[in-house]
Amino acid sequence: MQRPRLIGGVAMGLLVVILFLLPVLYAVMLAFESPAHFLNSPLTPGSPDVHNFSGAWSQADLGTELLNTVLYSVVAAGLSTLLGLMIAFPIARRLVRGSGALYTLLFVGLFLPFSVIPLFAEARMLHLYNNRPGYILLHVEPGLPLAVLLLTAFISSIPAELDEAAWMEGSGYLTYLMRVVVPLTRPALLIAFLYGLLGVWNDIIGPVVLLADPNLFPVTRGVYNFFGSNESEWTLLAAGIVIVSLPVVALFAFSQRQIIRTAIAGAVKG
Amino acid sequence: MWLGLLLGLAVYALFGLVPMLGNVVISFTDYTALPNAPVHNIGWTNYASMFSGNAPGFDQGVVATVVFVLGVTLGQNALALLLAHRLSGSGRAAAIGRMLVFLPIALGVTVVGLLWILIFNPQQGPAESFLGLFGIHSAFFGADNWAMVLVIFVQIWQNAGFSTLVFIGGLRAIDPQIYEASGMDGVGAWTRLRRITFPLLAPAVTANVLLAVVGAFTTYNLIYVLTDGQYGTQTLGMLAYNVAFGSFEANLGYGAAVSVVLFIITLIVALPLMAALRLRERRLLG
Repeated sequence: MQRPRLIGGVAMGLLVVILFLLPVLYAVMLAFESPAHFLNSPLTPGSPDVHNFSGAWSQADLGTELLNTVLYSVVAAGLSTLLGLMIAFPIARRLVRGSGALYTLLFVGLFLPFSVIPLFAEARMLHLYNNRPGYILLHVEPGLPLAVLLLTAFISSIPAELDEAAWMEGSGYLTYLMRVVVPLTRPALLIAFLYGLLGVWNDIIGPVVLLADPNLFPVTRGVYNFFGSNESEWTLLAAGIVIVSLPVVALFAFSQRQIIRTAIAGAVKG
Repeated sequence: MWLGLLLGLAVYALFGLVPMLGNVVISFTDYTALPNAPVHNIGWTNYASMFSGNAPGFDQGVVATVVFVLGVTLGQNALALLLAHRLSGSGRAAAIGRMLVFLPIALGVTVVGLLWILIFNPQQGPAESFLGLFGIHSAFFGADNWAMVLVIFVQIWQNAGFSTLVFIGGLRAIDPQIYEASGMDGVGAWTRLRRITFPLLAPAVTANVLLAVVGAFTTYNLIYVLTDGQYGTQTLGMLAYNVAFGSFEANLGYGAAVSVVLFIITLIVALPLMAALRLRERRLLG
């Protein structure tokens, strides 16, 4: 009984490492290789060479694009978390009639496909096309449904007495939300923000359809174009991917416990 | 309070619900988004041309969509089940494993797509070197007989982590006493998995199958990065995008019509599937 289990465990570990770690390590190795070394022995690491990184950084204009990406994803995810709270609180506390129906309406939103053609038409009509505020506004909605669901569940689990007392003392609704509700719901707010952030950060269709000016491009479109214009310069391209991934990987490393725990917990309820 | 609620709902309506209806409206027009080009109501023309055989992309799109949805749904759930079975523990190795399989979701479709393009680089990529040992040479993402298989594989790789976590949630919800009470101590691990664990996982199976099916029907962003729908990988979602934004005609009306048909097909498949899976849950869990 023990032997096959051990072998199974080792085989599974190997599968995970080969399937999920090796591809990533390969890209990192490639990024540190000189083009000449890659031509001669493409599969072995050479002496580390950082020229690919400086090359990719300047040629793909990654600095500007990273700043754009950070701006878009932080502001859009922040807004959708805030609006999510504004919707979730009255629903969770049943302060409005038809809370259940509202909740269902938002739930449906999780399954709505990203309708890029009408969004493009709307962006054109409302002057949201090819500018930063418009791009951000168009990216608030995708994060809303999940934010509302997470926050509704979380607020419902806090006893109402905890926060109602403070409201009775006569502070305004917004002050009350910020002073009392936000601190209590911080873990759920963080998760909603992170999922929203990843969604905006990693969007590729949006930047291709809704932006035309290269100065406005986020890093996804930047690195995608970089691949198109530097075919066969594999070491340079690998460096581009590594640079682009670093911020997300860092963010993920710092928050993965909460992100993963939420996904596992969601499965039990769903 | 009302102001905040209404503001939130307005954003949701304007950029979530209106586009859904907008798709239907645009699908009855010849909208091209070219400056100063007039927009006409052309009735069912876009739909008629889809089914007339004059639009070759549509028939191929249906075939590609069916292959893609089947491949992704089966592959993603099989892999996720296998991974979840081993990664549901509380140990350190399992935690690292969970982080690794979830990493592609954090990396996002663009980086993931480009990463696999590097690996399947037909000139000197590692896949070429490895398969070359067996005498296999190919253009991979640029080859008709390879592109679809690889696109399915990368879609699975990208999303298996999430399905794995859903299965882990399901596994953790199973009461360990059930295994002891079942009186099947003597049987092998495989029988136990098949007879006890898998039936009890029914709710997680429902969630994961639906997620994979709906995801495979509607998303095309990874295909866009990998092949842009070339070499037999143009699913209906990709087709809708390409006729609208990928060609010189910029036929947004036709693209919207394809999106509407895709949405209806998704509902026709997903709703009965959901009903069947829920029935299965009730049958297995009582």
